[in-house]
Amino acid sequence: MGHATMEWVYVGVVISLLTYVGAESWNVERIVEHAPADAKTIKVTGQQWFWTFEHEDGKQEVGELHVTKGVPYKFELVSMDVIHSFNIPDYTVLLDVVPGRVNTIWNLFDMTGEYLIQCREYCGMLHYNMKAKLFVEEPSAGTEQASSAQDASVGGSATEGASNNTGASAPAATTAAATLKIPQGASVQGNPSYDPDSLTVKVGDTIAVDNEDSAPHTVTNGKDATDPNMGKLFDTSIINAGDSSEIVTADLQPGEYPFFCSVHPYMTGSMTVQ
Amino acid sequence: MVLEVKRPRPMWEILFSTHHTDIGLLYIFTSLAFLFLAGALAMAIRTELFLPGLQVIPDSNTFSRIFTVHGTTMLLLWVLPFSAGVGNYLIPIMVRYKDMAWPKLNAVAFWMIPVAGALIWIGFSDTGWTAYPPYSIIRAPGPAADMWIFGAKILGISSVLGAINFVVTILKMKHPDLPLMKISLFAWATLTTSFMIMVSLPTFAAALIMLYTDRLGVSGFFNPAMGGDPIAYQHLFWFTFHPEVYIFLIPAVGMLYEMIPKFSRKPIFSYQSGVTAFVLLSIIGFASWAHHMLATGMSFTEKTVFMVGTLAAVPASAMHVFNWIATMWGGRIKFAAPMMFGVGGIMLFFASGAGGVVNTALPLDFITHDSYWVVGHFHLILMGTVSLTLTGFLYYLFPLMTGRMYNERAAKVHFVLAFVGVILVFITQHVLGLYGMPRRYFDYVPIPEWIAMNQIATVGAWIVGLSYVLMLVNLIKSAVSGKHADMNDPFKIGEEYYDYTRREPHH
Repeated sequence: MGHATMEWVYVGVVISLLTYVGAESWNVERIVEHAPADAKTIKVTGQQWFWTFEHEDGKQEVGELHVTKGVPYKFELVSMDVIHSFNIPDYTVLLDVVPGRVNTIWNLFDMTGEYLIQCREYCGMLHYNMKAKLFVEEPSAGTEQASSAQDASVGGSATEGASNNTGASAPAATTAAATLKIPQGASVQGNPSYDPDSLTVKVGDTIAVDNEDSAPHTVTNGKDATDPNMGKLFDTSIINAGDSSEIVTADLQPGEYPFFCSVHPYMTGSMTVQ
Repeated sequence: MVLEVKRPRPMWEILFSTHHTDIGLLYIFTSLAFLFLAGALAMAIRTELFLPGLQVIPDSNTFSRIFTVHGTTMLLLWVLPFSAGVGNYLIPIMVRYKDMAWPKLNAVAFWMIPVAGALIWIGFSDTGWTAYPPYSIIRAPGPAADMWIFGAKILGISSVLGAINFVVTILKMKHPDLPLMKISLFAWATLTTSFMIMVSLPTFAAALIMLYTDRLGVSGFFNPAMGGDPIAYQHLFWFTFHPEVYIFLIPAVGMLYEMIPKFSRKPIFSYQSGVTAFVLLSIIGFASWAHHMLATGMSFTEKTVFMVGTLAAVPASAMHVFNWIATMWGGRIKFAAPMMFGVGGIMLFFASGAGGVVNTALPLDFITHDSYWVVGHFHLILMGTVSLTLTGFLYYLFPLMTGRMYNERAAKVHFVLAFVGVILVFITQHVLGLYGMPRRYFDYVPIPEWIAMNQIATVGAWIVGLSYVLMLVNLIKSAVSGKHADMNDPFKIGEEYYDYTRREPHH
């Protein structure tokens, strides 16, 4: 081994490079690890296959998250079913959402705009579609109340606690001509999904939709999630467990309209408008 | 040696044989069959991702099943059995013994593999090859997931039996005149790998049983609804499967030590350094398993410990690279196809190793974790380094197995296509990961950069697929009608080849 010196030098260089990488990583991670004390908490719930967000003031959002620029946020991540991973790629926010645990990660958003929230841990059939939108907004001039009020008006689907009115347009005053039930257990593939799964209504009728299942559902027009026109004619958006919504048929032409649940696309049905 | 094609024997004589060359042949045939099956699945995945939206795979569930079976097959039914097959061929020759220590156990270990393969392929589970609970407990449909569990279980047993056999053959059946520090570095690679298998695999075996009883609902080890912890499974799983990465890699490293000195017509630069690096790697390989779990919400201390453990494994790998380069330095290198594959493998080993350092550097891991970067990274090591080296060694052993030479020009074309293809697929996927595309996505948002990079990767995958079809044609044609090889020096490099006369099946 006459050339042993050469190998020692080489190994020494490799080790010093690695030591540098390790020390620098440790140092950076140490700084970003802990959330600042004044961070606002947002509870993030992941479940197959959508995200729910709950702000400190109890305001809930489904599939959309509105935050204020320049404010540190601490995300508390919980899962209702399997492991997900909460990821905002543009801000390097990434942490697994593990059932039975509460993981926390924090971030301060420094640019306004719309960003993608996605799931990075394989969680089943619609893993690829488990997305949400992040809106980073300018802080409003007024107080905190003002900023949350602004949130509610800007984000169409931002809702107040349990009074969840996700109806497409009409107020709840009109009486429903037909009722579409989502029975208990509908979220499991193979179970009955809509009751009735084909219904007939007249133009102008309002259809009440009752979600009796323990999972959130939607009634969205179209054959499935690949339909380019999905949700253009009617879409209840997310109806939480136990909540109701309605579909207005006033603008529809007579004909047959297939619909499905955008959360569980194997749930399908059709509606005939006369 | 076997020279099956020149002096044919009836099929059943090979199938029921316990002779190490016959078992080796069976291992290699089986692993190649699974390579092509799983390769077809890879082509389906890449073709599906050529564009956003639906392409060739009907639905996302089928897609999940395909990537699960692709991963399981490539790792456990291609890389492992191929290395075991080469070990079967060469280890008894290298330690100068007539056969493996326990020929019948050897046959049993082999025949578990087709059974396990059938379970995995007929079941076609959708859990991902890691089968993380609670998905694999509460959501994955049976009987597919159960068949996967049993298939993996049987493969684990087969591996452990094979490992015991190798250890005993090398340590106890070695010729008394042959000191341990004189056996080939490939035998050292097999020895350290076998020890690693025996130490690491029992945890996964235990985890599989717990996973199965959890699925039956009689226990709740990993099911939070019953008080269990899904993270516990990940610890048990990666305690086996991070060392398993080295179990995949080290035999390929041993094969490079066989080929590089011969084709450079120089002795190995430092035999001791090679042995030291094997032993170091096989020990330190156990200190880094949880770097697969840095994003599961571990404490800062845990993260730091596993980052350091991961970085500590790098110098040992780097020593091998140094050893190869120093061996080639100033040698009269003959770039026959096996050597080209070997050198290509070393180049990609360097690239994937550097990528691995990025993965473990804590703040950077949160950019790359579970993204296409990771897909690119581990494919670069498993396809780029391990599989290309294994392929090169298949060409190198071809004269020993058949007594004939393959078509050298076609083999060189195979290398160029495969090498270019691998770079197109997996280096591109690194960048795609930095752009934020998560792995295991059936469909993706039509971001122009994502589309472009997915298309480059898909074209690369087609090139790799094409190159392997070329290899298949070449090998079949050459086995039947290739030129007869000069069995003392089939590559005309003036170096010793393996003892081909020892084909005396004693049963």
